[in-house]
Amino acid sequence: MIPAPFRYHRATSVEDALEALREPDSKALAGGMSLLPLMKLRIGRPEFVVDLGRLELAGLERANGAYAIGALTTWDALSRAQELRGEGLQAIADCARGIGDLQVRNRGTIGGGLAHADPAADMPAVAVALGLELVAYSAEGERTIAASDFFLGPFTTALAAGELVTAVRVPTPPPGSGSAYVKVEHPASGFALAGAAALVTPAGARVALTGIAGGPVPVADPEAGLEDIEVYGDRFAGEEYRRHLARVVVRRALERARARAEGRAS
Amino acid sequence: MTEVIGVPRPRIDAPEKVTGATRYAADGWVHGLLHARLVLSTEAHALIRAIDVEAARAVPGVVAVLTAADLPTATDASDRTAEPLAREEVVFAGQPIAIVVAETEAAAEDGAELVAVELEPLDVVVDVEAAMAPGAPLARRPSEGAGGDLESIHAGVDHGEEDEPAEPLSANVLGRVRRSAGDVAAAFAASAAVVEGTFRTPWVYQAYLEPQTATAWQEPNGTLVVSTSTQGSFVTRSELARAFGLPEDRIRVVAEPLGGAFGGKFALIEPLAAGAALALGRPVRLALTRTEDFLSMNPVSAQVTHLRIGALEDGTLTGLEARMIVDRGANAGWGLEGITSSLVAGPYRWQAHDVVGYGVLTNRFTFGAYRGPGAPAAAFALETLLDELAAALGLDPIELRLRNAVVEGDVAISGTPYATIGAVEVLERIREHPLWAARHELPEGEGVGIAVGHWPGGNEPAAAVCRVDKDGTMTIVTSAVDMSGVSTGFAAIAAATFGLEPEKVRVVLADTASGPYAGASGGSKVTYTVGTAVLRAAAAAREKLLAAASEELEIAPDDLEVVDGVVRAVGAPDRSLTVAEIASKALRFGGRYEPIEGHGGSAQTSGAPSVAAHLAHVRVDRETGEVVVLRHVVAQDVGRALNPALVEGQMRGGVAQGVGWALYEELAHDEHGRLLTTSFMEYAIPNAERVPEIETLIVEVPAPDGPFGAKGIGEAPVVGAPAAIVNAVAAATGARLRELPMTPARVWSALHEQTR
Repeated sequence: MIPAPFRYHRATSVEDALEALREPDSKALAGGMSLLPLMKLRIGRPEFVVDLGRLELAGLERANGAYAIGALTTWDALSRAQELRGEGLQAIADCARGIGDLQVRNRGTIGGGLAHADPAADMPAVAVALGLELVAYSAEGERTIAASDFFLGPFTTALAAGELVTAVRVPTPPPGSGSAYVKVEHPASGFALAGAAALVTPAGARVALTGIAGGPVPVADPEAGLEDIEVYGDRFAGEEYRRHLARVVVRRALERARARAEGRAS
Repeated sequence: MTEVIGVPRPRIDAPEKVTGATRYAADGWVHGLLHARLVLSTEAHALIRAIDVEAARAVPGVVAVLTAADLPTATDASDRTAEPLAREEVVFAGQPIAIVVAETEAAAEDGAELVAVELEPLDVVVDVEAAMAPGAPLARRPSEGAGGDLESIHAGVDHGEEDEPAEPLSANVLGRVRRSAGDVAAAFAASAAVVEGTFRTPWVYQAYLEPQTATAWQEPNGTLVVSTSTQGSFVTRSELARAFGLPEDRIRVVAEPLGGAFGGKFALIEPLAAGAALALGRPVRLALTRTEDFLSMNPVSAQVTHLRIGALEDGTLTGLEARMIVDRGANAGWGLEGITSSLVAGPYRWQAHDVVGYGVLTNRFTFGAYRGPGAPAAAFALETLLDELAAALGLDPIELRLRNAVVEGDVAISGTPYATIGAVEVLERIREHPLWAARHELPEGEGVGIAVGHWPGGNEPAAAVCRVDKDGTMTIVTSAVDMSGVSTGFAAIAAATFGLEPEKVRVVLADTASGPYAGASGGSKVTYTVGTAVLRAAAAAREKLLAAASEELEIAPDDLEVVDGVVRAVGAPDRSLTVAEIASKALRFGGRYEPIEGHGGSAQTSGAPSVAAHLAHVRVDRETGEVVVLRHVVAQDVGRALNPALVEGQMRGGVAQGVGWALYEELAHDEHGRLLTTSFMEYAIPNAERVPEIETLIVEVPAPDGPFGAKGIGEAPVVGAPAAIVNAVAAATGARLRELPMTPARVWSALHEQTR
């Protein structure tokens, strides 16, 4: 439970972090709730750890019809962000509230969690369903990556070398919208056996699943039984059961999102 | 007068524990201390071909890399005490192969990952039923010397008859126990209903908060000192003496405050630390990480139970037939087949029984004990079928159990008569609970289940010392390990016996060099046996007190009483001296009285089984298969609750662990025998969120030989808890699960089968 030897640098600015991260075998440390356990198990063994903890990247801002969530905003802060609830973005708090335990939520960050891209993580499904965009910052400047393009596979993202997620943009849905995140979790890890995020707007519904495959899976037709979606199975939850759970959480997430959109639930 | 017995009081060690002041086995410091890390086998069954330690030795800070040949072990026996590091044959994945010892924990860990072990894989045995068949691959090459005598610690049950098997069996079957009486076939033939089933329980981890830890060093005179997290100091001393060929008086075992054990801490880690310390002549600490503890220690056996029971129309139980297969893992020394085959009869009368138990070797861990070893699995099978029998006969499930519950004078199938048993009393108590009456008016998807579990208790001679100081305070010295608050119970026993306020009693848990003998803490026997020794030690000290007081007050001892630290004449309380005054007269230069001290011993021979009845109230999500225990009620016969707060704590803890058995806990291997659940990220235990509201009902049917009537109570409350939850799920859904834990996938499958 002691990491392999590594060097450590506390970044003083985003630019300083980017400079440090140019080094091969370097790794950015945000809340450390995924990276540190991997290092303690010596599964992850970066040579150089660049700590982003002192960067001022936490917080919620509203501008131009969207929220910008700082990459270092903790799950706990998001679970208590009232302003998001009022705008049909309840799924974010649903999701944040169910991540890990209190200690993890106090440390873990949205930017770190999304960039880690655990295939069973909750937030990627919410990011895809709600159409979030990740702001990637590098020496060349800033670009935004749609969540649906961001997750390439287990622990693999569209971030290029030398890019850092600094913020997550959340488009506010039109009035009369609601969203929800529902999962059935593994009783030990709390990770989703199947989790579904749903956004219901006056124009229609958008749904994404997590926990069932190598990353978040957009569900084109939530009413259509999910037969054509590839589902992973393991000893604890086999493929047939997991596919069934996926149907259940999709339906439950849609029901809750719809009830919220119609003002029947909070 | 201060009421002591039956009054709830906080644990005497609570303040230091809740403030974090307690020093556990990993907290003490020794000059020159080295740190050890284990190299564990990655194969479940293999021969060690080569171990390359050079790269590890080259790590800065690494002092030594030790393999089996480097340890000064003294026997060829192949149990884990005698063979702390695998010599030639590795028999489970996770078995220690080498110890890296370094100046720092980090260097030890750096070194451990550089040790290269070349293993030649052998056939791996993971399926316990397949392992029994003639011609099955063997989990361990045949050898001499199983060694060890840890079985007797756990329960006062016999081993049954050695069975002559009717079927051919492989050499993996090391234990065979048969218990039979009467004509079972005839009993079934005469029955109005007969039900049967096959029940499976998995390997379950004790999940103590404190991973196994030991520190060993040698005193200048050569004495080996082992400071450790153990359940038993004397048994550890004997095991170390056997392992290293040392006289017992050259070993001192110090049992440090225990951070949980539940049956899992018996001389498994100490030989590793001691072997390294002896080999190097320097102090060595081995504090396992959680994953090492999961991989290399000794969880409790998986079991398969085929059970068949019958009853007459009026509910009288007739025949009991069981075939019980216990997965010993690679433990050749002993198995749970003796205990579980005795407990499967439950606290009920049977006209005829035929029970066979097998202990089978596989390449999964080496099993150890866990709170009521062998009992929850047996109760799961029996209590499930009792519910089915009640349904088949149209009887109330509690009524069926009450009609057959054993009473004083009945004889268990082990042959032991019940000298005291509160089975009827706990069933009657639970039947009165409003939850039972309300069970048919619950919302859809909810249900209430009942089950009973019992534990026979255990015995072992023990002694204790009582000393009174000049300030009127008392010190009790025992060598018991406080696993569950027993020292607070000792204080109550001594205070009530002597006539002192319990706040004035200190309890010293001594090491093997200084304390009177006590057996290991296990088998629910500490309060019953050591507690009785404490009572007698306090009584002996009281005689010394009264002898001195009698001379000082010129009143015959029989006319004196001791109340709250004051000796006074019965009926003339003005004529009195305090205990402090009398002790001060004894403990001084030229004093005329013997010190106010006493020694007490006990050698209990009667049993005092404890029995608990449970009501579980669950809600099942039929779509996902998730089960939530909403509420749990437990009624337990404890003989006499010396300190009800501690008794209730034991009851709650047992229920919480029962929730784990029922819903969450399962150690799983892949087909190669490699453990899949190596941390709490994969192995679920009931956390605070998942433990329901637990209502405790204390029932007191006194044990004639227990201190103030107390029985050993630690194990009984876990035994029936899983079965009650199983029966509640059946009540909620109609689905009967035959395998624990009832994971969401298993519950969903069972419900899915229903609708197919």
